[in-house]
Amino acid sequence: MAFPTQNSAIRLAACDCLTPFGDAFATHAALLRGERALSPSPVLGREGGDAVPLALLPGRALDEANPPAWLHSLQTLLAPVAGPGWGTARHPVCVTSSNFGVGSLYALRRTGEAGHAAHGTPHGSVELVRRALGWGENVAIFSHACVSAHLGLVHASRLLAAGAADEVLVVSYDFLSPFVAGGFHALKILNVDLPVPYQDRATGSIGLGDGAGYAVLSRNHGDFALEVQSLHNEMYHFTANKPDGSGFAAALAPLAAAAAGRKLWVKGHGTGTLEAGRMEAQAVAQAFSGAPLVGWKGSLGHTLGSCGLVELAIAAASLRSGRTPGTVGSASPTFTDAVALEPFDNTAFDGAVCASNAFGGAHAALLLSHA
Amino acid sequence: MLERYIQAVRTDAPGSEEPAATRDRLKARFAPGAVRRMTQLGLFVGAVLGELQPGEADALVYATQFGEGRALEGYLDSFPGASPTLFQTSIHPSGAQQGLIGRQRSVREFFPLAGGNQLVATAVQAALLSDAERVLFCGGEERGTWLVPHGAASDRAFAFALALTRVRAADSIGRLALEPVADSAGALALPDWFELLHNRRPFAGAVAPGWRLVLEWQ
Amino acid sequence: MADPLCDRLKHLIVETLHLEDIAPAQIEDAAPLIGSGLSLDSIDALELVVKIEKEFGIKIASAEESHQALASVASLAAFIRARADAAKLPA
Repeated sequence: MAFPTQNSAIRLAACDCLTPFGDAFATHAALLRGERALSPSPVLGREGGDAVPLALLPGRALDEANPPAWLHSLQTLLAPVAGPGWGTARHPVCVTSSNFGVGSLYALRRTGEAGHAAHGTPHGSVELVRRALGWGENVAIFSHACVSAHLGLVHASRLLAAGAADEVLVVSYDFLSPFVAGGFHALKILNVDLPVPYQDRATGSIGLGDGAGYAVLSRNHGDFALEVQSLHNEMYHFTANKPDGSGFAAALAPLAAAAAGRKLWVKGHGTGTLEAGRMEAQAVAQAFSGAPLVGWKGSLGHTLGSCGLVELAIAAASLRSGRTPGTVGSASPTFTDAVALEPFDNTAFDGAVCASNAFGGAHAALLLSHA
Repeated sequence: MLERYIQAVRTDAPGSEEPAATRDRLKARFAPGAVRRMTQLGLFVGAVLGELQPGEADALVYATQFGEGRALEGYLDSFPGASPTLFQTSIHPSGAQQGLIGRQRSVREFFPLAGGNQLVATAVQAALLSDAERVLFCGGEERGTWLVPHGAASDRAFAFALALTRVRAADSIGRLALEPVADSAGALALPDWFELLHNRRPFAGAVAPGWRLVLEWQ
Repeated sequence: MADPLCDRLKHLIVETLHLEDIAPAQIEDAAPLIGSGLSLDSIDALELVVKIEKEFGIKIASAEESHQALASVASLAAFIRARADAAKLPA
């Protein structure tokens, strides 16, 4: 079943991200240059293990510190939205993540140092961030793996559409740890090979990256609009999608209907796995015939729960600049002809679809356009 | 004001029941062989939610403060040979997904929330803001072990599931609403919310900055 | 004559995956492991991989390789024999 989850256009009043390359502007520029943030790193950090593609913030180790080493970088990103004006009744905050402070729980287990525990739970991690940014208590926490950020955006949009808020701040962060890297390595998808999203080859592999982002949503202000948002949950299998690709199609259908006749490009999820990448590429080609498909996880790695906001910020930077980065790291043959390997001029396009997918067959997509 | 009507409530208060006993008690509610990999929270939530028969057009809101405490403990203990099963099941919102995937039940929208003092308020908000005809609001906790003294796992177990409809019907058994109020502060913790549902007690009070929750029973 | 490696793998499958209602002897050497009468899936396969890698000192490099190796007990035994030190195999 497919219908739009949110179809009242909401404005993107502000949006930025943090990756190992820097903010959205710097990240966009690095992607245009075809640079990779990923490099081989021991999957268990201090304790070694296979070398897998990870992209960590400069100077940050995989093993968590106390307090977490990522906090200062997150504070710098969120400086424009710090202060007691946020987290109030009319200016709520939605924090989204897949992992929150789970790296601190790993550090607790490995070192026995009790001080890590306070930051290890979702609420403990968010409380750390809330106090550091000086926000009030009106903070919602959403966690649904790699579609977490999209859920925050939908909830924020609904608050605005219902007149229940004046502006909503959506924040997303996911910083790597041996907990996360070890888990994906155990799933045999974080392997020694660099990821090449949408490339047709014999084996798949992902990379993982540190990432954070924020968006301020408003009813009236901002030069971009989130026109339509959709969600779909297959509940087919934890790590596999329905083989007919219907889950991907269901999430994209409302956007395709709303954007009929318009020229769009698509920022896909594209982690570097084979089956999901193939199904996604085919679903995109079906829903948006002729639309170029790009994915940036071959450079940045998969930033997990934060990927929806990180990549939204880069998509907005792309629309603002008129240039869309290509699918960094990938080469022919690709799953479909629509996969854009090189950067392209987007000034003739009406907007972009941004899509993400998650464990459990969760799908999310939004239509981003100039307001 | 945001409001919906309560069509059905299911609760489970298993006390200090151990996971093996939970599997024995609830396994008949799931497909043969399905429970071997399910967490205790997944069994609790899957059972109460299953009674409400989630459908493709429903929206689902899921709230848990600590999630899969034992899977988390087991996964952390499994290093350096990290267990893929425990990794998978320790990831929020596994507790709700286990039962639904076992039954192959897709849902229109799924909003899993985490949190502390604002968890109930924000979860109710997500439920009441949905435009689905029926919203299923579920959640709960399972008891952890070594993470409990660190405040990183729950020390009690419970589960609940509510069916909420947009329109009052002849079989409605209650009403759930969020009213905007000026300058309020308040909180309602998930265990306290469970007690309200389990004992069919009414509530009216501030639960978050700017919001007053009303729970009425008929 | 029973293959001791296949026997060991069948015990590993039952123990690792908590298959309460199945005896190791009921698992046929050539029967598909995934999506078969055992109702195992890809996550079960990966859990087995962790145990197999540790017990036999081998490495399975990717999800695709694990899918091929775990096609059946017989294929898994052949995969292990081709890669493991003979001293780690059951006599």
